[in-house]
Amino acid sequence: MKRTGATGGRSASLLAAYGAWAVSLVVAVVFLSPLVWMVAASLREEASIFGGGWWGMDGWTLENYADAWRRAGLGRALLNSTMQVVVIGGGGLLINAMAAYAFARLEFWGREGVFAGVVVLIILPVEVLAVPLFFTARDLGLTGGHGAALAGLTVPFLAKAFNIYFLRQHFLSVPATLEEAAVMDGAGPWRLFWNVALPAVRPALATVVVLDLLAHWGDFLWPLMITTRGETRTVQLSLANLFTQPPVQWGDILACAVLATLPVMLFFRWFQRYIVATDARAGIK
Amino acid sequence: MMWVVAVWVVLMCVSGCGRSRVGQREDEAEKVNVIRVWSHQGQEAENRAMREIAEAFNAAHAQRGVRVELTFFPDFQYAEKLAIAAAARDLPDAFDLDGPMVARWVEAGLLAELGGFWTEEELDDFLPTIVEQGTVDGRLYALGAFDSAVVLYYDRVLLAKAGVEVSADVDAKGWTWDEFVAACGKLKTAGIEPVAMHMDESADEWFTYAFSPVVWSGGGALIAKDGAEVRGVLASGENVWSLRAWQTVFAKGYAATDPVDPNPFGNGKVAMDWSGHWMARGHLAAKGGRLGAMRLPRVGEKAVAPCGSWAWGVSARAKNTELAALWVKWVTGVETGVVPIVRANGAVPARRTAFTFFPEYAEPPYRLFREQLETAARARPRTPYYATLTGRFAAALRDIARGAEVEARLRQAEAEVQAVVERREEGRR
Amino acid sequence: MTRWEQERGRSAGWFLTPALALLAVFVVWPLVRAGVWSFTNADLLSPERARGVGVENYTGLWEDGRFRRAFLNTWMFALLVVPAQTAGAFFLALWVNRPEREWQWLRVVFFVPVVVAMPVLAVLWTLLYQPAQGGEMGPVNAALGVFGVPPQAWLRDPALALPAIALMSVWQGVGLQMMVFLAGLQGVSKELLDAAKIDGAGAWQRVWHVVVPAMRNTIIFVVTVTTILAFRIFVQPYLMTRGGPGNSTLSLIQSVYETTFVSQDLGRACAAAMAFLVLVGGVAWVQRRVLKEERE
Repeated sequence: MKRTGATGGRSASLLAAYGAWAVSLVVAVVFLSPLVWMVAASLREEASIFGGGWWGMDGWTLENYADAWRRAGLGRALLNSTMQVVVIGGGGLLINAMAAYAFARLEFWGREGVFAGVVVLIILPVEVLAVPLFFTARDLGLTGGHGAALAGLTVPFLAKAFNIYFLRQHFLSVPATLEEAAVMDGAGPWRLFWNVALPAVRPALATVVVLDLLAHWGDFLWPLMITTRGETRTVQLSLANLFTQPPVQWGDILACAVLATLPVMLFFRWFQRYIVATDARAGIK
Repeated sequence: MMWVVAVWVVLMCVSGCGRSRVGQREDEAEKVNVIRVWSHQGQEAENRAMREIAEAFNAAHAQRGVRVELTFFPDFQYAEKLAIAAAARDLPDAFDLDGPMVARWVEAGLLAELGGFWTEEELDDFLPTIVEQGTVDGRLYALGAFDSAVVLYYDRVLLAKAGVEVSADVDAKGWTWDEFVAACGKLKTAGIEPVAMHMDESADEWFTYAFSPVVWSGGGALIAKDGAEVRGVLASGENVWSLRAWQTVFAKGYAATDPVDPNPFGNGKVAMDWSGHWMARGHLAAKGGRLGAMRLPRVGEKAVAPCGSWAWGVSARAKNTELAALWVKWVTGVETGVVPIVRANGAVPARRTAFTFFPEYAEPPYRLFREQLETAARARPRTPYYATLTGRFAAALRDIARGAEVEARLRQAEAEVQAVVERREEGRR
Repeated sequence: MTRWEQERGRSAGWFLTPALALLAVFVVWPLVRAGVWSFTNADLLSPERARGVGVENYTGLWEDGRFRRAFLNTWMFALLVVPAQTAGAFFLALWVNRPEREWQWLRVVFFVPVVVAMPVLAVLWTLLYQPAQGGEMGPVNAALGVFGVPPQAWLRDPALALPAIALMSVWQGVGLQMMVFLAGLQGVSKELLDAAKIDGAGAWQRVWHVVVPAMRNTIIFVVTVTTILAFRIFVQPYLMTRGGPGNSTLSLIQSVYETTFVSQDLGRACAAAMAFLVLVGGVAWVQRRVLKEERE
């Protein structure tokens, strides 16, 4: 559906292109306006957020950010959330890649059966399991203070059926000739995996990490259940807390929302190409 | 073997290092005797008062190395948070909980008995309602710093305009239900909206709390005395009769079933307000001398007032029960806890000697709050099934106000609660 | 199989153990536990005292007015979101399907809300939807006011709350589905499109007769995924309306959560969770069936 047509006069197509630009620009502005408003309003004094006088020079302030940081305990919360996504992203990647590699490249009895079992698990939403999972986490000592809470936030989500499935598809498409050369050099399974297979699927690995980062940065239900202390709150919980903490200060809440989004946005430019890659693949499933 | 090392490193980072850090924290905690305390998040003023109370406690006990670590959770999810922590076996040492929930917590073995920490004399200084709400099977498990009250506020000028007289006798005792309905009728005829019942309240608890007195004053009850049987109690003849009387107020359009304005009395749209102590300050400011307050109208012989509020308890698994109880004593102590918190939230002080700090209790409406708590208040049922009971009863009240047939609706609620009771009771035997 | 391959196979255990062990402990075991508990009267604070009650939790589910309401709300939400989001994403994909470098920014624009965490957006939209109050009003009402629409109490009106949340959810998720469609569009045969064009088919006809049939699988996939995601709704109503007003936005997940931690009825909550699983599983199964027929 290429737009720049082969038929039609040059000037007509030029006009169409400008029209498309104008329409796109308007739609884009409307589409993004909630987020633009979020950032702008977070810089406004409380009284002028819902009131008028937006175009004046006064009424702008950075105070909301200082207040939000203090009232929501954001320093701690950002650290907690960062540790959470780093552990899941990093630790999970290795564990899932290993399993995926085994399913793709190693011959063993019952491989297809076990793999089918893993695929079935993809459909299970975490919400269904949250309640019994909560008891499992408790029984394993994954509730309580800092270390235990971090473990509780991460360990249950290290292994992911979808990631295993996704990475296996990519390992399958690594040409066998690549491995054969290494086998000649006498490489064992671990070295084949680490030195040959993993580098070959690097974009897929990045995709998995990015998806995990995004999903778990926004986690809400599970942290709500598993973190039983103020100091183990994640960013989203701190935001929800501030949201309902009287007196309700819209400016503070918006500033907190911006701060909770900033880390993801900073990485956005870097990881957008990987997201496009995933959906192209996911669509084939 | 490389991967073993790698996995090991990851797992250590996750649990290992974490554990050592937890260990350190616990060592620290042992050294300075930290009492972990949770509280619901109230208004900012109330939170500030709580923090100051905690700071004063820490300062007073610095020499013993004892201090409290206070955490607030939003009001709406506080009960869930406590339940989660209880299920996770990570309850704080001391926490406040809503009075009617005490029985459930005691039944689950989560609260430590506190009777031994107060002398008879000290307990006599507490309002009887406060001791009653924290007592299960004759043992004391929780005490609060403040209590609550619901009264019928009225606007003298508006009532006079409609020709409704409030005699001194009525002011003291409240109306009978017929007198109340008659007064509403006169107001309606005069073109004044009669009464606000706050049916828009999202919390189920408002309904049970504010309207149980109707049932009680008609001689009925919500659940049998042993707290494990509702059959024939919730849908008793008395209750059907009492709630039919209650329903007329909505049926005749005297009170809105779906109000949109949270405070129609305060802004002069409604002549009377069936509401709590927390409105007293605002109403006084808005009305001044026009404001009157009387006991809730009674269906039967005797007016009954609701009561109950947040109560402090100590976890049965507290690191050190005595230290946790020390905090509860502090926060329910007259000058250390009751006076500052009541100043901040305007509730009714739970201790008799604390009233001397609040001169407004010589005047209405405050005088009425104390009076009815001392003489006419009844605590909500103390039963492990309270959460179910209040939910189903509130749902029934909402429907009845909108015109549901009273007897059938009560029977439905009764059957629902009874089913839950039987499920759990069976499991216990 | 060569000797070397057998040797390699033997090391599979080492590669698989961490993931399979974690999946067993944190996915399979909780699932089994939920299944078992759903047939008992287990209680949150003392699940070990549970006793079997047969299928009572399941039969009781439908009699429970709150659960019924949550179930209907969740379906309603899916009915509002799935068509809007699928169609929206499809047309957006057609619109942004411009391979030139200078058009890349457009697809990024629509993808941005997907990247922002849902709790943040729920909080933000609560503010956007603020009703008019004492001379102040939220931006949505202010913007509509320009077109002469009177201010609405979006999240406080039982009739508007769920649609308002649905609108916000479509806005948030449409970019994701757009990307999937965009990938699918690359598989649409250029020759077929050009042939249609030469035959004099208009833009609409080309979309309807060429693009849609060619993207059948992608559309089915998007509908399935969107449906499942819609069923899983929790954060938006939990933060924006707390399930209100009058249970009009109570979600299935919130009802499971509250049955667990407010009513503390673990048995009933697990039954509700299993019912939810059947719902989600059903959708996935239907998708597989439909796709299979296509392949045969």
